[in-house]
Amino acid sequence: MIDLFIALSPLLTVGFGGLLLMLAEALGKPANNTGMSPDGAVVVDAGAGRSEELGLLATVILFSGAASSMGVWLADPATLGVELVSPWLQVDRYSLFFSFILCISGGLCTLLGGGYLEEHKIDRGEFFTLVVFSTVGAIALGFAGDLLTVFVALETMSLGVYCMIGLRRSSPRAGEAALKYFLLGSFAAAIMMFGAALLYAATGHTDLAGIGAFVGGLGGEASGETAMVIVGMLLMLIGMAFKISAVPFHMWAPDAYEGAPTPTTSFMAAAVKTAAFAVLLRILLIAFGDPRLMSWGAGWPPVMACLSVLSMTIANVIAGRQSSVKRMLAYSSISHAGYLLMGVCAAMRLPEEASASVMFYLAGYCISTIGAFGALILCGSRGKEAVSYADLAGIGRRHPAAAAAFALFVISLAGMPPTAGFFGKLYVFRATIDAELYSLAIIGLLNSIVGAYYYMKVLVFMYMREPIPGAPIAIPMRSSMVVSALIIAAALVVAIGVLPGALLEMAAVAAAALS
Amino acid sequence: MLPGSVVEHYLALSGAIFTLGAMGFLMRRNVLIQLMSIELMLNAVNLLLVSYNRVHAGNMTGQVFAFFVIAVAAAEAAVGLAIVLSYFRIRGTVQSDEADSLRH
Repeated sequence: MIDLFIALSPLLTVGFGGLLLMLAEALGKPANNTGMSPDGAVVVDAGAGRSEELGLLATVILFSGAASSMGVWLADPATLGVELVSPWLQVDRYSLFFSFILCISGGLCTLLGGGYLEEHKIDRGEFFTLVVFSTVGAIALGFAGDLLTVFVALETMSLGVYCMIGLRRSSPRAGEAALKYFLLGSFAAAIMMFGAALLYAATGHTDLAGIGAFVGGLGGEASGETAMVIVGMLLMLIGMAFKISAVPFHMWAPDAYEGAPTPTTSFMAAAVKTAAFAVLLRILLIAFGDPRLMSWGAGWPPVMACLSVLSMTIANVIAGRQSSVKRMLAYSSISHAGYLLMGVCAAMRLPEEASASVMFYLAGYCISTIGAFGALILCGSRGKEAVSYADLAGIGRRHPAAAAAFALFVISLAGMPPTAGFFGKLYVFRATIDAELYSLAIIGLLNSIVGAYYYMKVLVFMYMREPIPGAPIAIPMRSSMVVSALIIAAALVVAIGVLPGALLEMAAVAAAALS
Repeated sequence: MLPGSVVEHYLALSGAIFTLGAMGFLMRRNVLIQLMSIELMLNAVNLLLVSYNRVHAGNMTGQVFAFFVIAVAAAEAAVGLAIVLSYFRIRGTVQSDEADSLRH
């Protein structure tokens, strides 16, 4: 029994840590307990004015979650009596790999939040609790091996994020972003649940392995069950496409990303997307891993390939036309979903190699995208938030350190060596080519060349342009927390970029646990 | 156990409710009605789960699942109404097509 608690320690550490954080926020002595609500009334908020210490505590909780994932990984989860919670929670190295990435991402986001919220005078303590609880949902989504836990974990993650977007209550843009994400997110969840209910109706199972076994036993002839399984699968895929913001289910993403406070945006782009990909791969390979469903004729690969091509191409074209850097990064995260879906497609022929490449890509993408948003935070200060390209003009000369960090993460997102993003793209393309999906790989390659254009635009503005005289310029903020988040992220991006072998090996071990 | 032909009526009914909910969500512009449409969709899910639990009568999975859906839907409605309320305080409207300040 005690073994089981050890095996579940990533989830328990972060979950109980969240409760502790809530107590610390409620019972702590407020530094400055008055604030103004939008309608002018004075409100008392116990967490106000303490972003730094609460942010630090949240970061410690999330990083210890990462450490315990690593510990369970090393102790070999299979020996820890985990069959007691199976199939609801599958504690294997696949889920532990994701819980590690998710905890690191969450921890970096709380570090960014600690600096950002104070600077922009929205330092409300509940932000950190929400990040921690959303991370619990995201970790549980990685662990989930049953449609029931998939649903509960997905909602746990999403409900926290809806609130985090609307954190700045006086801003109409934030309210609008929260509203849009909430409406489309819960619509997607309802579609996904109807798919799950159809799968249960057809198969009598809600655990993914049971569904997979039933689907494998279905005859080739058309029957009511086959139709229900296929409709159920498509509805589940639509629901998940919303969550990973693949085109054409991406409409909410640019608005939600732009309206949200930047630390929330980085959490959505990194952790939410990673957790959704974790569950997507598990569902596709375990529940729909039947050879007939993995073929080009009548299964999920053509759907995934369409989503992938559309996401890459459309998002890249629109991203190039943006004048707001935050919105450009939002479209860039949609196009990254396209590259990742390419790897998911390749899993139809080479499940292990392709899943490993997707996992590696996700690790690199998470850290680079959090870093890019973090650098954007660092480049602006209260009332002078850097949002457009013009705000960044000449920052390379005025504030070389902030610019250098931004440049590193943008290069990693563009997929150039020597960064994590380069090897992520390399492995995903290699898996796609090995799976003999040549046209998909060529479209992806052309897209990553087009994508380089708008990433380079950031560098051009930072290093080669001077601000127009008299125009408002962004003044970088000073925050040790944001700086330390950027240093950690930069170290990881370079470390993965220089020595990709260790992480790739881990991803391969993790992917082997999936099948 | 229900005979197969009877349970298929429930499948049809729940499909119809789900479609109505989805249409309502896509066609109405009042956020409160859109929220109600989402609840309708989730109730179609519950109906399907509970009725097919009679076919797969070996365990209570479908019914237990329905309880979870109800609980999560309640939590979702609470958060949703809070978001709508805070949006209404700023903008004075609950029409989702007037939420366009983020477009360029």
